[in-house]
This record gives sequence, structure tokens and C-alpha cells, in this order.
Amino acid sequence: MSFYPFLIALLLLSAAGYWFGSKKALGAVRQSTSFLTPRPHQFGLFVAIWALLPPLLLGVFWVVFQVMPLQLDAGTNQQIDRVFFPVLGLLAAAGGLFLAIRRIGPDLKVRKSIEAVVFGILILASIISILTTVGIVFSLLFETIQFFKKVPMSEFFFGLNWSPQTALRADQVGSSGAFGSIPLFTGTLLITFIAMCVAVPLGLLSAIYMTEYASDRFRSVVKPLLEILAGIPTVVYGFFAALTVGVFLRDTGSAIGIDIVSESALAAGFVMGMMIIPFVSSLSDDIIMAVPQSLRDGSYGLGATRSETVRKVILPAALPGIVGAVLLAVSRAIGETMIVVMAAGFAANLTANPLEAVTTVTVQIVGLLVGDQEFDSAKTLAAFALALVLFIVTLCLNVIALVVVRKYREKYD
Amino acid sequence: MQMQAETNLMSDADMAEEIVIETQDVNVFYGDNHALRGVSLDIPKHQVMALIGPSGCGKSTYLRCLNRMNDTVEGCRVVGKILLDGIDIYGPQVDEVLLRARVGMVFQKPNPFPKSIYDNVAYGPRIHGLAANKDELDEIVLSSLEKAGLLKEVQDRLHSSGTGLSGGQQQRLCIARALAVRPEIILMDEPCSALDPIATAKVEELIDELKENYTIIIVTHSMQQAARVSQRTAFFHLGEIVETGPTEQIFTSPIDERTQGYITGRFG
Ligand SMILES: Nc1ncnc2c1ncn2[C@@H]1O[C@H](COP(=O)(O)OP(=O)(O)OP(=O)(O)O)[C@@H](O)[C@H]1O
Ligand SMILES: [Mg+2]
Repeated sequence: MSFYPFLIALLLLSAAGYWFGSKKALGAVRQSTSFLTPRPHQFGLFVAIWALLPPLLLGVFWVVFQVMPLQLDAGTNQQIDRVFFPVLGLLAAAGGLFLAIRRIGPDLKVRKSIEAVVFGILILASIISILTTVGIVFSLLFETIQFFKKVPMSEFFFGLNWSPQTALRADQVGSSGAFGSIPLFTGTLLITFIAMCVAVPLGLLSAIYMTEYASDRFRSVVKPLLEILAGIPTVVYGFFAALTVGVFLRDTGSAIGIDIVSESALAAGFVMGMMIIPFVSSLSDDIIMAVPQSLRDGSYGLGATRSETVRKVILPAALPGIVGAVLLAVSRAIGETMIVVMAAGFAANLTANPLEAVTTVTVQIVGLLVGDQEFDSAKTLAAFALALVLFIVTLCLNVIALVVVRKYREKYD
Repeated sequence: MQMQAETNLMSDADMAEEIVIETQDVNVFYGDNHALRGVSLDIPKHQVMALIGPSGCGKSTYLRCLNRMNDTVEGCRVVGKILLDGIDIYGPQVDEVLLRARVGMVFQKPNPFPKSIYDNVAYGPRIHGLAANKDELDEIVLSSLEKAGLLKEVQDRLHSSGTGLSGGQQQRLCIARALAVRPEIILMDEPCSALDPIATAKVEELIDELKENYTIIIVTHSMQQAARVSQRTAFFHLGEIVETGPTEQIFTSPIDERTQGYITGRFG
């Protein structure tokens, strides 16, 4: 028996359990003398769960069991997979079902049992997501340690040169790669900075307009539009940056006699800023809305105009939250990949000039892992080291931002 | 309506006082909700006028008409004449921002800005440019705190946060903040409903002193408070003024039976 028929049989079995359970419960409920009895379908659910749980546990056990190195030859293994497991599973299901049906009666605390199962499922879901995160972090950590066995830490953190090649043959010319990550981080910083210069003022001002000036009707139309901007896939922004903004900047530059490369940091940062505008504006919008109406009333009541109220009362009150929002936006910008891959390129220049080409950490990670790679070369492992640093930086930013935002929220509750 | 006009006439003749605010047939709509219906009321200078009435009868709405705070509420429409010193405040040449400096407001819940005590009081003078230099500003802040009876308690912590004060102190800070822009009229919307009896007594005492120099209109749910602090009382019911007159008369011999029912606690 292969897997799918087995699964279908299992589901049929539990459906039958549901039906029988409900049926039998109907009789039991009628005879019951107490006022509050569970509904028949709850008994049905109870039976169905009991039919499904044992084979599920068996399956989990089976998977764990198979991962263990057992000295079984392939034939036996297949036999167990094909015959032994499905039969055992169906037997377990039938057994669970039988026991559950037998227990149906006025004394069965069926709602409590269902509650316990729901509780278990919820816990399981959160444990799985936490474990996944932990697993990713550990694999990053492990590979990074491998990397630092090949390349000294001092070179990675303080080196000014980035050209991650490893020799194919020992006698190859220029064989030694350079793994100084400083140019990548300065490039990331430069592009992030440009993006923030675009996103923070525009996002904040539009949030102020939306919350303090716009009528409810206008707001209800325009806010969703802004959210559409947030839904555009970043790859679209990417070719907008590369093909439209980059070329436009270069042509404008050459018209007025400034040399701008088409893959400039300016183009990438500008478009990334556009992408982050809705992020900044919707976060700031929430934060400004959270400033109590009574403060606005107080200010208007003293004869302040709208813009005075915004500048002197609302923004100072919302400032911590806005700082938090900006930090979240920064961490978003640092981790952004697609736009910079397409618009900023791979040239690892150490420069602060926004008109030149730079590269970012994320772009280099992509570059290192694209194509066929040996898994243990310094070049591949460097990607993990970069990713770990990136992860730590954005994690810190997010934590700080969340703490700041939460602190601010508490103030008004 | 007729009875109301009569009492008005009588008391005006009795007291022969100067009227600062004259409202004539004011109607207010929140969208389709007709919240105030043909309200006419004269408010005499340098007295305390109490507005009483059951919840939702439009007291706050009326109060917010007097400094055009209703302009900040979306969908709110005010029809009718409200004259301040004979000038229609809804007229085209009136700047509602300046109006709000002349007609100050104290709210139900104390709402100090999250700034220092000093900056709270200095807020109004700063935006209106009332002080030419730091010394003048200091002088305005200190005298406002003094008038609000708060100076002694906060003298040595003027630069700590206004939100760190007790509820009663916060409310007096808000009163000081309103006084600092030198208003002629102060509107108070249930200023004591969030305060304990001792803080309430302090604010009432303050109101009594302030009426020497200011005209005060106070909304309250406490009959005793209205009786204690006000000279005149207006009773609102379902968006209309049922009866208005000297406080003593309203509380001892109300003409309308709805007024009587309300002040004796039979409804509302
Ligand atoms: N911002 C608003 N939007 C819509 N309707 C409002 C608004 N404010 C008040 N109303 C309506 O106007 C009417 C009068 O309300 P108002 O707040 O003036 O009553 P009130 O006498 O102050 O009551 P309370 O004693 O409970 O404070 C009510 O029916 C209320 O629902
Ligand atoms: Mg009210």
C-alpha cells in the first residue's frame, strides 16, 4: 500500500468515527439526566481525533526512527515502508476509534478533551516555528565558524578589500582571494542612508497629512492606495531602479557634465527609499493616531493652529515611536536584496560618493551562492559569515525598535 | 419656550448686567444627528454660568460652539448666531484660532502635554508671542500658576513633567495653561468629574476667585457643584434649553416640571 491510499483510508476511518460518535452520543444525550450535555457533534469530533492521533504519533516516531542509522538493507526498509507501517497505522487508528466510541457516555468530559487537543496543536505550532528559527541561527553559526577557520577574523572584519576568489589550482595567478567586508558594509550603509533620506521625510509627512489634515473620506481612499505601493514585488522596483532611474540619472548627469555611472548608489538608494515609504508612513500613521485626542483638543483650545499642534505637541509626543519606526525601516533597508542586486551591481568600491557604484552585503551573498559551488570553499562559507553579521545587526535594530515602540505605547494606556 | 423667555426677561431686568456672549437660535448637527435645537442663551460678564442636564443633552456641544472647537469635529455643522461682544464668531472675518485664545477651555479629563510644568503653561504665550523675552515669559508662567493656586505646590519642580502631577494638580495646571493666554472667558467641561472631593473643593474655590476677572461657563453633573459655584444656571434637555435663570431660583423654585424632576433626581 503506498502513501496516498493509506492517507485516504485513514481519513475515511476518522470520518466514520465522527459519524458513529455523533450517532451514539445522540442516544446517550437523550438518556442523560443532567442539564448541560455536550452537543453530539462534539462527541463525533472526539472520536475522529482519537482515530487520527495514534497513527500521527506513530508517523512522527517512524520518521525519527528512520533518521537513525539502522543497519537494515534497502529491501527490508522498503518492505517496512510499504507494508508494515500502513498496516500498523490503520490498526492504531481503528484501535483509537474503538476505544473512543466505547468511552462515549454521560460521564465523558468531551469538551475538556477537545480543549486539551487544541491546546496541544497550538503549542506544537509555536514550538515548530521557534525551532526553525533556532535551527537557522545554528546552521549560520556553524558555517561561520568553518569560515573563520579558513579566513582570519581580522581580515574579514577589518580588511578593505573584497574579491572572494579561491584558487582552482595552487599555481594559479592572483589566486588568493580577499575577504575584507568593510566595503560591503559601507556600501550597505550608503544605500540605506540614501533610502532613509527619501523614505523618512516623505513617509512621515504623508502620515501627518493623513492623520491630521485629510478628511475621513480622503483617508479611506488614499490609505489603501498607499498600501498597494507596499504590495509591489521588490523585483519590479528593482528593474524600475536599474532601467529607469539609473539610466535617467546617468543621462541627466552627462547633460550637465557630471559623471554618474548607471549602477549608482543614488539610483538604488532612491528606489529603495520609494519602496520603504509606505512602510514608514503606515507605522508612523499608527503611532500618530495613538496620540490621544485630548492632547490635540488641549492645543487647539489654546489657540494653536494645526501645524503648531503637529510640531509642538503631536510630533514630540510621538517621537519615540517614530524613532522606533525609522529603526524598523532601516533594518528593512539593510536586508533588502532584489533592488540592489539589479540596480547597484557587484563592484565592491570603498567610497562615500553616491554617484559611484557600490555593492551591499545582501548582493554579495547572492553573488557568492549563485552557480555551482563547493560547499566548503571559503567563498561559499563567506556568505554564511556575512549573513550572520547581517542577521545580528537587523536583530539588534528590531529589538531596539520594538522596545522603543512598546515603551511609548505604554505611556498612554 | 414661552416660559423660558419669561424667566430670561425677568432675571435680566433684575440684575441689569453686561452680556458678553449672546447665542440666538443655535442649531448643531453631527451629520444627520440634530444635537442642539434652537438654543438661545445670554451669558453675563464676570459670573459663573452652570450648564446642567442629563447625559447626551448637548451641554458639551453647546460649550464647544462658543470657541468653535466643533470646527475640528468632522461632519459637525453649526447654524445660528453666536455673538461675542456683539461680533458673530462664526462670521467670515473671525479667526477661530485667535478666538480660542480669547475663549479658553478646560476639559473633563486633565490633559497636560507630556512636557515640563513650565512648558505646559508657556505653550500658549509662546505660540501667541505674548512674551518679548525670557523674563516676561517667566512672569506670565509664574503668575498663571499663582492664579491657578498651584504655584506653591510646584515651585521647586517647574521643570519636571506635567504628567507626573496628581489628577487635581494636573487639572489646575490645565487651568493655569488656559489663564496664561489671558482669555476673557473660560469654558469648563465637567472639570471635576475625574477628581476626588478635596481636589474638587480646591478647583471650586479657584473658580470662585476667577470670576472676579473672567466669565466662566461650567458644565457639571453635580447639582451641589452648580449650586455652590454658579450665579446662573441653564438646564438642557434633549438638545434644548428648558429653563434658565439665577441659580437660586432654578434650584428652589423651578418653573418647568422637567427641571424640577431633574434637580430632585427623579429622572436623568
Ligand atoms: N463628535 C461627535 N460626533 C457625532 N455625534 C456627537 C459627537 N459629539 C456629540 N455627539 C452627539 O451629540 C449629542 C449631544 O452630545 P454632548 O456630548 O453634547 O452631550 P453632553 O450633554 O455633553 O453629555 P454628557 O453629559 O454625557 O457629557 C449626543 O446625542 C451625541 O451622541
Ligand atoms: Mg459632555
